[in-house]
Formats: sequence, structure tokens, C-alpha cells
Amino acid sequence: MVRPSEFAESFRIALESLRVNVMRSILTTAGVVVGVVLVVLMGWTIGGLDSIWEQTISVIGKDMLYVDKWNWSGGGSWRKMESRKDITYHQAIALCERLESPEVAMPIARRWGGSVAYGNNIIRASVVGTTSKYGQTPSGSIAEGRFFTPIEEQQAANVVVIGHGIAKAVFPKGDALGKMLKIAGMPYRIIGVVEKRGFLFMDFVDNEVFIPMSSFRGVYGFVDRSLTVAIKAGNDKIMDLVRDEAMGVMRSIRNVPPGKEADFSINEMKAFDAQVQNIRFYIWAIGMGLTILAFVVGSIGIMNIMFVSVTERTKEIGIRKAIGARRSSILAQFLIESALLCLTGAIIAFPIAQIFVTIARWLAIDVFQFEAATVISPIIQLDLLAIAVLVSIVVGLLAGLLPALKASKLNPVEALRFE
Amino acid sequence: MREIIRIEHIAKVYEMGDEQVFALRDVSVTIGENEYVAIMGPSGSGKSTLMNMLGCLDTPSSGTYLFNGDNVNDMDDDDLASIRNKEIGFVFQTFNLLPRATALQNVELPLVYAGASAQERKRRAVESLTRVGLEQRMLHKPNELSGGQRQRVAIARALVTNPSIILADEPTGNLDSKTGQEIMALFGQLWQQGNTVILVTHEEDIARHAHRIIRLRDGLVESDG
Repeated sequence: MVRPSEFAESFRIALESLRVNVMRSILTTAGVVVGVVLVVLMGWTIGGLDSIWEQTISVIGKDMLYVDKWNWSGGGSWRKMESRKDITYHQAIALCERLESPEVAMPIARRWGGSVAYGNNIIRASVVGTTSKYGQTPSGSIAEGRFFTPIEEQQAANVVVIGHGIAKAVFPKGDALGKMLKIAGMPYRIIGVVEKRGFLFMDFVDNEVFIPMSSFRGVYGFVDRSLTVAIKAGNDKIMDLVRDEAMGVMRSIRNVPPGKEADFSINEMKAFDAQVQNIRFYIWAIGMGLTILAFVVGSIGIMNIMFVSVTERTKEIGIRKAIGARRSSILAQFLIESALLCLTGAIIAFPIAQIFVTIARWLAIDVFQFEAATVISPIIQLDLLAIAVLVSIVVGLLAGLLPALKASKLNPVEALRFE
Repeated sequence: MREIIRIEHIAKVYEMGDEQVFALRDVSVTIGENEYVAIMGPSGSGKSTLMNMLGCLDTPSSGTYLFNGDNVNDMDDDDLASIRNKEIGFVFQTFNLLPRATALQNVELPLVYAGASAQERKRRAVESLTRVGLEQRMLHKPNELSGGQRQRVAIARALVTNPSIILADEPTGNLDSKTGQEIMALFGQLWQQGNTVILVTHEEDIARHAHRIIRLRDGLVESDG
């Protein structure tokens, strides 16, 4: 066993040795510095992704269900989905009317890849036809103005509520309300702007414009168009109940015989969890790969310099052994020195990682206008620092093991004779 | 007289390629408490090997070595380290102090490996440095001390654990004759205070301070008395 007094002595020697060889120590730890920077950046990125995703879910609402021809999470074959019959306007309306358990349900018709125009400014946007109830869902919550009313719906009024992305692109000064936006050649008055919803990889939802279902029908019609029914359960505890009811009602509406697979899907935000997990995994895998590489290179450097250190101090080891240092004492001495060397690397790495984090956040928010990034932590989290410290110490111990073993096994007589 | 060291028919062989080189052929010696012994011999006589053996830095190829009645042949590395730490005080020709540590830290070092507390270490190290007359120089590093002072630090370090024997290898070899005489006077003093002193030297003048001279030649004891 290594005694406390020996530990204290080992720390003293290690610090002394780092102090004497400042430049050499700093250069030696370069690999470890890179490794720690990578570990921290990877952790920070994954943490940021999680915060954005959490934010997204909370904005869209955990209690939303979408009855759709397509399975959003990509389950099932594309060909099978393709062959499903469209959900017609009447089916969608019937479902909305017959559902009893949810707080609110509404049909959604969507024209993908369309465009809207303001003056000469043409913007890609998907045009969504829906009912006034959409305004009651989290994704229809209004930043300014209002959602359209049932009366405007009945009248097929030419009013439009625009997504955050459109508002920002066309009206950077924030004066969208009251302006006339052209959709399929027809002028629509802007009555509301929807809040930023911060979708991570679905930022298209901020480039939506919402018009009354009746207006949508007039412009695009419902032929060859499959509608979606958005259902807000009202409470994420009754999700199963609502899902079961929606399944039952929709099967009956679409005449799906008992025992046959439903020809529609009920989607939830959870469906995207798998995709988020995928992205997380890729970041993790790439980060880990680079980190391990850096630590391998780094530990070779550390090992090399520790061998040099053992050779330089052969005489000292001899003296220590002659006056009673045991193998374990010498082993501990060099392991501690190696671990401290790596720890120095970690400490050098922290401010560097913080600089990267600051730059990355600035680039994301101010240069690429990726607003969702504002929810990412601007400083490195403490638990990441703790992990980095731990990892660097372990790397130090591993890299120092062979040199320390060599030192501990030196023959005292020969070591004393070394000049 | 209590017996501290008993070696019987020890030999030490080094393999040099195919050739076997005998550093010690057949040596038997007994040393008792509070003896003052000099081991002499020309270079190649085996006196350094014998000293390493006596100091438990090395183990014999054959023969037995009893230290305070314990058989050194049976000991593992840690046991030997423990004996060196507690029972043997080394004094080397080249002092062998740690250059970056102060006199006090150098003297404390054996106590570090003995597991003594910081307070205890300091108290005993100061006491030991006072015994060799260096209490004014405790915070100096070796390069700030003269040769004689360095050897005094080394002697203080050897004394600090209260060892059974003090083993000095050419302790005056790197000193001028006046300083050498002072160091020899110090060993004389230590002997008078009850310590057991073993000197290894090739100088007759130095050996004459001892009360018993063991002469080695070609790995054998030539004379003892």
C-alpha cells in the first residue's frame, strides 16, 4: 500500500517536475488538449441538440396526435403507404365530429412546395388549410395579431396567418399585419403571425401560411389530396385513450374490416425521437472517434515523455530506493506525475473549448440565423468538465503505466550508478 | 555484544555473456552492535559488492545473510526496501542528495517512506540536522552547500530513522582532507553515541579510524581484525 505521506510527496515531486519543465509539459499535453476539447464539444453539442428537441416538443405539444395516410417515423414500406387511399375531406371532418375524448380536433390540408408573393418577393411556403380551431393548438399559438374566426371560415375570407419564417423573411421590420400576401395569385390579408416553433430538422413548419379550409378548397381543391387530422388530447395522460378512440373511429369511417391492418397512421411527436436519437448517435460516434484518436496520439506523447522522465531521473529513483522507497512508492510517484500532466492538458483545454463553444453559438445564431440555437447553453456545463477531468486522469494513468512500471522495477544498485 | 550482521559463505556471480565473473567468492563476516568496522580492498576486490549486499541493495547468489537474525535471502523487494528504510543509513561518496529538495526535505525523505506524519518528520529531521551541526542550513538546497555540508546532510539523512547500522561508501572520497577529517570525526562521535558504523574505503588513513579492518582481495576475505 502507498502511504498518505508518500502520496503527498509524489504530488510535490510531480508539481515540481511540471514546474521545471513547463514548456515541455505543455507541448506534451497537446494531444490530450485536443482530446478534451473534442470530448467537451461533443458533449456540448449533444446537450444542445437535446435542449432544442425538448424545446421543440414543448412548443408543438406532447399531447398532439396526427391521423395521416403516412407514418411519419418512416415505419412500414413506402410502397404500402403510397397505396393507401387518401384521407378525404369528408373522412377528416367525420373524424373530427365523432371524436369525444380529445380537447379539440381539426382537419389540415396541405399544399407542399408552393410559394407566396409579396410584391416582387416570392417565397417558398407550404400553404395549409385548416379551421379556426388550429389556433387552440400550441403550434397555432399567435405571436401577433389573431387566428381566423369561424365566421371568416364560413365566408372563405381571404385572410392568412403566416409562419414565423415567412414573417421574418418578408417583413424583417415586423410590420406584417394588414399587408396583402399573394397566394396562388389571389391577395390575402395578413391577420396574424405564428410564434417561432424551433423545429430542429423540420424548420419547414415555420415557413407555413394558414388559410381557412374553405379558402383552401377554393384555391387548390381536395382532389388527389390526403388530409391530416390534428388532435390535441388536452392532457398527455389520456394519450392512449385518445389514440384508441381515434383508431376505432377512423377504422369505422374508412371501413377497415376487423382484424385487418389500418390503412392510416396515428403519428406523434415521439415519432421524431428516433431521428433525434440518430443524430445524437452520429454526433456521438464522430466525436468519440476523433476523441479516441486524439487521446491515443496524446497518450503516446505522454508515455514518451514519461519514459524520458524516468531515464532522466534514474539516479533519483536509485536514491529513493536506497533509502526505503518500495516499488509501489515509485510506481505511484510516476503515475501521479503522468495523471497530473494530463490534468494540465485538461485545464489548458477548458478555455479553448469555451472559445469554440462561444464561436459555434455565435455562428449558429448570428450568422446562420439558426434561432433554435439560443436554447443551447452558452457555457460548458460543469458535468462535462467533470467528465473531461476524469477522462484525462484515466488517460494519464494508462499512458504512465509502462514508464512507471519500468521505474519501479529499476535495480537500485544500477540506478545509483547511473550518471 | 548483540549480533546485527551475520553472513556465511556468500558469493555473488555476474553473468557476462558466457563468462561467469565472481564479485564475491566466499565471504563470511559477523558484525555486532556498536562496532566500528572498515571494509578495505583495491578496486575489483568486491568491497562495493559486499557493501551493496550488507545494505540490502543486492542479494547474494549463494550463502546466507542474517540481519538482526532475519534471513535476508527469504525477503522480497518490499521487505528489503523496509530494511533499508528502517535499519540502514546510507552515506555515499557522491552524497546522493536530491538536488531540487532542501536539506530538510532531503533528511525527511526516509521518514516519508516510513509513513511518518509531516510534524513528526520535521521534528526528527531538525533533530538529526542539529546532530550534524547543520541547523543553520536546513532550508538550503544542495547546490548552496559546500561538499562537507552536503555530506553532513547525507549523514543526517542516514541517522534520521535511527538505523541499526550506518553504511558509508567512501564518505570522504569527494572531500578535501581537512573536510574529510571533520566528517571522520563526526563518524567517531556517532560511534561513541552507540551507533554501529561500517566504512567502505580504499584509503588506509580513513580505515585507521575504525576499530576493525576487514580486507578483501579477489572476492575473498584476506584479513579480519
